[in-house]
Amino acid sequence: MKTSSKKSAQERQDAKVAWLMMAPALLILSVIALYPVLRTFWLSLHEMSLKNPGSGYPFIGLRNYIEIFSDQRAMTDIVFTIKFTIVTVVLEMFIGFAAALVMNRAFKGRGIVRAAILIPWAIPTSVSAMMWKFIYNDQYGMFNDVLYRLGIIDGYKAWLSSASGSFMALVITDVWKTAPYMALLILAGLQMLPEELYESAKLDGANVIQRFFTITIPLMKRPLLVALLFRTLDAFRVFDLISVLTGGANGTESICVYAHKQLMSFLDFGYGSALAVLIFIVVFIISLIYMFFMGGDLAGDD
Amino acid sequence: MKKSTKKLLAALLAMTMAFGLAACGSDVEPAPAAESAAETEIEADGEQQPTETAGEAEAPADAVVINFAYDEGVGDATREMIDKFNASQSDIFVESYSLPHDANNLHDDFVNKMVAQDTSVDVMALDVVYVSEFAAAGWVNPMDDLYTAEELDAFLPGTVSGATYNGTLYAAPWFTNASALFYRTDLLEQAGIAEVPTTWQGWQDAYEKVKGDVDYAFSFQGIQGEAMVCDWCEFIWSFGGQVLDENGTAVCNSAENIEATQFMADLIGTYAPEGVTTYAESESEQVFKEGKALTCRTWSGTWNVFNDEAESNVAGNVGMTFLPVSEEGDTGHSCMGGLDLVTNVWIDDAHKEAANTFIKWMTSEETEKEFTLISSQPPAVKAIYSDADVLEKIPFYTDFFAIIEAGNTRPLSPNYAEVSDAIQRNVHMALTGEQSVEDALNALQGEVEALSK
Repeated sequence: MKTSSKKSAQERQDAKVAWLMMAPALLILSVIALYPVLRTFWLSLHEMSLKNPGSGYPFIGLRNYIEIFSDQRAMTDIVFTIKFTIVTVVLEMFIGFAAALVMNRAFKGRGIVRAAILIPWAIPTSVSAMMWKFIYNDQYGMFNDVLYRLGIIDGYKAWLSSASGSFMALVITDVWKTAPYMALLILAGLQMLPEELYESAKLDGANVIQRFFTITIPLMKRPLLVALLFRTLDAFRVFDLISVLTGGANGTESICVYAHKQLMSFLDFGYGSALAVLIFIVVFIISLIYMFFMGGDLAGDD
Repeated sequence: MKKSTKKLLAALLAMTMAFGLAACGSDVEPAPAAESAAETEIEADGEQQPTETAGEAEAPADAVVINFAYDEGVGDATREMIDKFNASQSDIFVESYSLPHDANNLHDDFVNKMVAQDTSVDVMALDVVYVSEFAAAGWVNPMDDLYTAEELDAFLPGTVSGATYNGTLYAAPWFTNASALFYRTDLLEQAGIAEVPTTWQGWQDAYEKVKGDVDYAFSFQGIQGEAMVCDWCEFIWSFGGQVLDENGTAVCNSAENIEATQFMADLIGTYAPEGVTTYAESESEQVFKEGKALTCRTWSGTWNVFNDEAESNVAGNVGMTFLPVSEEGDTGHSCMGGLDLVTNVWIDDAHKEAANTFIKWMTSEETEKEFTLISSQPPAVKAIYSDADVLEKIPFYTDFFAIIEAGNTRPLSPNYAEVSDAIQRNVHMALTGEQSVEDALNALQGEVEALSK
């Protein structure tokens, strides 16, 4: 008689082998992920401006963290980053979902469409940001040309010169780039849905809308949450898009851009590390919230 | 699997994700080139002869080997000079340590080395704006004894003051750069303007006469970035303003600065494109190249590009002059860029001495002339601008010398990166109209004051 709590010698042996097999991966993870994060945390507890080696980099406890909350710029950046994250992720979810539903239908050339839709995602962000910077240019930008021809604007505008224009430009560019990624993740989920459910619902007289809300949506909860998790984390850490497209001008500085500036331009490793740790904590909390909604399903196998 | 284990695993998984994804915040990422603090504006020259021997020749057995770290933007020309130096004597052997063409990248690399007390480089080519930072941190050796007073006089005055911190010379001027006002000679002729205007008003009047042919009077750089810091400094200088006074005290919200910044902001959307607040050098130059603007403020080396028929619609009709001033009779001051040579503070005396010998040789008139001929970089030594061989190759130096001689340096602060960032954010808000000029400059004053404490 065996119970689950009493393991046989064979099982214990298996577990040992499993740990052994995982050891290299765990080792690498701890060197390239755990160590830098712990080190960053350690630095964040010090006054450490590289430009001031004479200070001896004293330990100052949580003073850097307290400073963040009185730093108007950091607060503004966090608010902007949250706003950017919410707007882009919501738009990407709707557009991605719609695109995935279309791609899930059987039609001629579906393979090509699926490949083509991924192109924006495949282009490195800094390259696409440069490209969009040209598109928004006030002299020869395509964005102006198209709107002008459509009669929406009566003259060329410098879109990146105002706060609202810059925000809009960033959102459009980010949605253009990452909605396809969202679509692909959702499409993978859609393809797992059992066709029989739809068949029987159809027989029971459910129309398209009813089928969508009673079958597709509930069954898609998990894949959708996974897709949203990835996108939310990515959007919150936005760096390259902003750095290239606006350089943080017109109130579009994200918290990552600011942290990078503190670390690499101002050489304030103490305060910059505190900002980096703060970003890590927020990202961690976001992950936990999603995990909560997923009901821990990601870890379990039932 | 127990429920608690599962929960733990879920949390662990979330952690790993966060670790991997949060890395952006703490990682060292190179700043984009657009943000580059240096306006070295390196011009690729088709006539450069890549040398194959550099770095491959063997050092003589008893020679002191020193490593010279420099910007790949002038890589070929520099290697040629190094080879020449190595061939000229046998006591010192210079090895190349070439870094990517990006001033911020160079800066970060040097900072890392200095913090780690690394002695792998002896001589560094440092962007002029960072000399104060390095001197204040004690990472570079003073060079007071390297040059006699007469020798220092041979350099452009702006390059020497840029290499000086708290009254001590910490760097040797290697090459420099300055901006200038490029203008359309054909349009001035057409409008019957014989004398090239010198004031803002003069250029505005000239524009009124040629309005039908061009859309704008001025094209410059107003992007939130280092390029705009240079432009803004020039605007305030042209109204008699300053960022820091002689004692290093912040004077950002002076009446002159407010007037100058207001003038700059008012030009945007009227005499200059609305989009200048998004322009770095290339965008502003494009407007001029397309023939849409009467003038364009940019770096001297662009003369070649503007006069290249393959790239520019206005080739052959481009002149170069001083930046405009507000009062007739004043001289326009251009912003200076370029690289200085500094020595690592951690190296031993034998290396220090060898490094100084090499620097002295690199900055001699003879070497600088040769370097100018192959790299087309404006030299730091005055006499070269009137040298016949140089003028034959770079004819615009005739006009350019007076401009660069009147060049000014950006504020010399050990916290230059922060000062520049504060100027970028606050002045940009004034230029886009998000804040009144006065509020923006008051905010800037507060920030710069806090930085100079």
